[in-house]
Amino acid sequence: MTLPDLPDMDLIPTKRSPWRNLSLVWLVPILALLISMGVAWQSYNNKGTLITIVFKDAAGITPKDTTIRFRDVIIGAVEDVSFSKDMSHVEVSARIHKDVAATLSPETLFWVVRPEVSARGISGLSTVLSGVYIDAAWTPITASSSRAFEGLSETPLIRPGHEGTRIMIRSKNGSSLTPGAPVFFRGMEVGQLDTPRLSETGDSTDVEAFINAPFDKFLTTDSRFWNVSGFSVTLGPAGLNLNVASLGSLLTGGVAFENIVSGGSPVTDNTMFRLFEDETAARDSIFTQVSANSVTMSVVFSESVSGLASGAPVEFRGLRVGQVSSIGAFIVKNPSGSTVNMRALITIDPQSLGLDADAGKDTIRSFIEKLVTEGMRARLSTTSIFSSALKIELADVKDALPASVEDDADGTPIIPSVKSDLPDFTATAEGVLERVNKLPIEDVMNQAISLMASIEAIASAKGTQRAPDALLGLIEDARGLIGQDDTQAIPNELRGVIADLRSIVAELKDRGAVDQLSSALASFDKASADIAMASGDLPKLIEDLRAIATKVNDLKAEELIAAVTRVMDSTDALIGTEGAKSIPPALASALTEVQAALSDLRKGGAIENTNATLASARDAADAVAQAAKNFPDVTAQLDSVIAKADALVSSYGAKSTFNSETLDLLRELKTAAKSVSQLARAIERNPNSLILGR
Amino acid sequence: MENAGSARHYLTAREAGLVSCTTCGRVNPAKEKACLRCGATLASRDSQSLQKVWAWWVAGIITFIPANVYPMLKTATLGTETESTLLGGIVELLHHGSIGIAAIVFFASIIIPSSKFLAIAYLALGIGRPSRTTAHRRHQIYEAVEFVGRWSMIDVFVVAILTALVQLGSAASIHPGIAAVSFALSVAFTMLSAQSFDPRLIWDADKDHPR
Repeated sequence: MTLPDLPDMDLIPTKRSPWRNLSLVWLVPILALLISMGVAWQSYNNKGTLITIVFKDAAGITPKDTTIRFRDVIIGAVEDVSFSKDMSHVEVSARIHKDVAATLSPETLFWVVRPEVSARGISGLSTVLSGVYIDAAWTPITASSSRAFEGLSETPLIRPGHEGTRIMIRSKNGSSLTPGAPVFFRGMEVGQLDTPRLSETGDSTDVEAFINAPFDKFLTTDSRFWNVSGFSVTLGPAGLNLNVASLGSLLTGGVAFENIVSGGSPVTDNTMFRLFEDETAARDSIFTQVSANSVTMSVVFSESVSGLASGAPVEFRGLRVGQVSSIGAFIVKNPSGSTVNMRALITIDPQSLGLDADAGKDTIRSFIEKLVTEGMRARLSTTSIFSSALKIELADVKDALPASVEDDADGTPIIPSVKSDLPDFTATAEGVLERVNKLPIEDVMNQAISLMASIEAIASAKGTQRAPDALLGLIEDARGLIGQDDTQAIPNELRGVIADLRSIVAELKDRGAVDQLSSALASFDKASADIAMASGDLPKLIEDLRAIATKVNDLKAEELIAAVTRVMDSTDALIGTEGAKSIPPALASALTEVQAALSDLRKGGAIENTNATLASARDAADAVAQAAKNFPDVTAQLDSVIAKADALVSSYGAKSTFNSETLDLLRELKTAAKSVSQLARAIERNPNSLILGR
Repeated sequence: MENAGSARHYLTAREAGLVSCTTCGRVNPAKEKACLRCGATLASRDSQSLQKVWAWWVAGIITFIPANVYPMLKTATLGTETESTLLGGIVELLHHGSIGIAAIVFFASIIIPSSKFLAIAYLALGIGRPSRTTAHRRHQIYEAVEFVGRWSMIDVFVVAILTALVQLGSAASIHPGIAAVSFALSVAFTMLSAQSFDPRLIWDADKDHPR
């Protein structure tokens, strides 16, 4: 292969400017560099500010994973967990977003959110899966430079940044106050308590409470706080009261507040309030803490004030308006000598009387004077039927003697008093007891005892014991009587009677008595119809009957009882008489006679005669039977009458007493008719019964 | 190719007044501006080859840094998000005892890209300078770099597949990090860098400085 001539190629590149020769590809690394730098700068910028939080322990905090949140928004993450130099604490380094870090105030609170189960509920449940996180709360400031913070070991109950008012509540006993317990206002939860702590002197417990906005506007210097922990049971005139604020407060306790009196200025942070034991105490406190503008007056009693103590309420028409401040005795001199009177000094709060809080002494006095002229008087009364404690009542007394407000020697106005109606109650009770006492229980008992004694005397009397023997004798006598000739003649007489009966029946049959009975019934039927017509007068009759019944009712029961007692007395007397005691022997002799009669009866040949009698009786019965054949017709007619009467009566209304009585009457009539017919049939079947009486 | 590494003189196409087409391989007369067969532009040597190589190489290096510093994967499991970088992931795998997998990842993600950078830099620097390695050896290195280039995207593929597969809502989800993009760019830039290299320059250098 021959080498061809070298072509005219530029083997040596001309020395051109290195920039002109530059390839466009260089733009790629420049771009890549720029982008990389951008990414790097961005990630550096996003890294945030490093802060340190000191915790007692780092339970659950893991670097990189544990986040820091504010209002549940992640504002950073934990970078590192290390120990403090003396190993007593854990230092948590965290990166916080730059913008957020600039607002961190030195008082920023950090705490670890863990799952928590308490009486108030379950919180932090989300951290079970995601792990713990650090929550933060602060009041934002500008251009902050704080980078080191103290972490809390527990979730703070009152967090900065929340709108509301922070107050202090002082209580004698903090046992019922638990951290996080609710604060109620009219039953609504408006805030919560912080952890109670002992006051510096150790004689009371202070607890910080936070009232959320906008409820804190209800809080005034006149607000009263009381404990609503657990439940309260009160037994009073209104019955048994059981109060439970809420199930939560039952477990954790709680306090409630209310503005018992109007007025009062808005409170500022850290105002101190006193905690009362219960609502009653809180309400009463209005009066125990007598305001400066309350007015002192006095009431003079001539009766005993036992039961009235200083601090006892003064009530105006049932509303507490003040209290008794002191009680004392003083001597009043009058022409007839000197008497000791009791004087109670009372303080009256103008506000509770409806006057202005700053009403002057004169205003109140003129107000009281006006009431006194209208009949208002002071008097003692019991606070409740269960206690002997007294209160002073400013009550409107009817027919009160005219009186006016006068000043005593000290210049204190005296409210005129009336004698209390207190003894009346006692008198009533006494009267009741007295009446019970007066009941003649002993007399009744004595009478009962004497009655028993008499009965016993009769039973144990010799005559009574002899009675059975006398009875035997009586039976013997009866037997003797039967055996007498006269007695034996009875069957013959009976036969004659039956013969007469037969003739009567025959006569009846001949004269058509049964037909007459039928016609009588028919006329009764008509009479029923007439009664129906005349029924308009019945209500009046019932009215009359009622009037009679009322009169009967009006008869005094006491008289009746007295009469009964008298009867009892006379019975007693009767039993006690000698005549009564001689009864048993007389009874015995009577029995003996009966016995004799019976024995006589048996001795006679009555039986033989009886058979002859029976034969003629049968004839008589046959005649009766013939006559009785017509009886069913009578009964049927009666039935129809009753049915009509029934219908008639039911038209008067079921409730009328008259109706039921009429019906009863008719029914008796019906049963009577039926009995007659049954009797007739029975005689027909068994004529012997006429004689033997069966 | 025989006697590679020896200081033999070779007749180059250039010396023979010929220009080979890089597209279709036809040898054209030196005076031709375009390939007689395929019409591609002819150049005996790519005058800007080295420039391009270095430019792409620098871009590759720049993107390789964030690829290692920034997280490759963002794994969110039940609310907790963990980010793992390339090296961090390898260390984690080692901690878990998966030495084999750690080795593979380490080899594919760290060793290969790094050695590619070194190889390309070595080749580019060797142009126009005396070299200990023969032109043959250097050409073999070039071939190896070219060959390995297409396999370097394994990491990116893994991230892409994981991201697509593991999307179980709040239970578990995987998102690619900045490093994944950077790594992909880095690999691409390295490949472009290797592509820009005109291997014919290797032989020019050998010819200029015979040994």
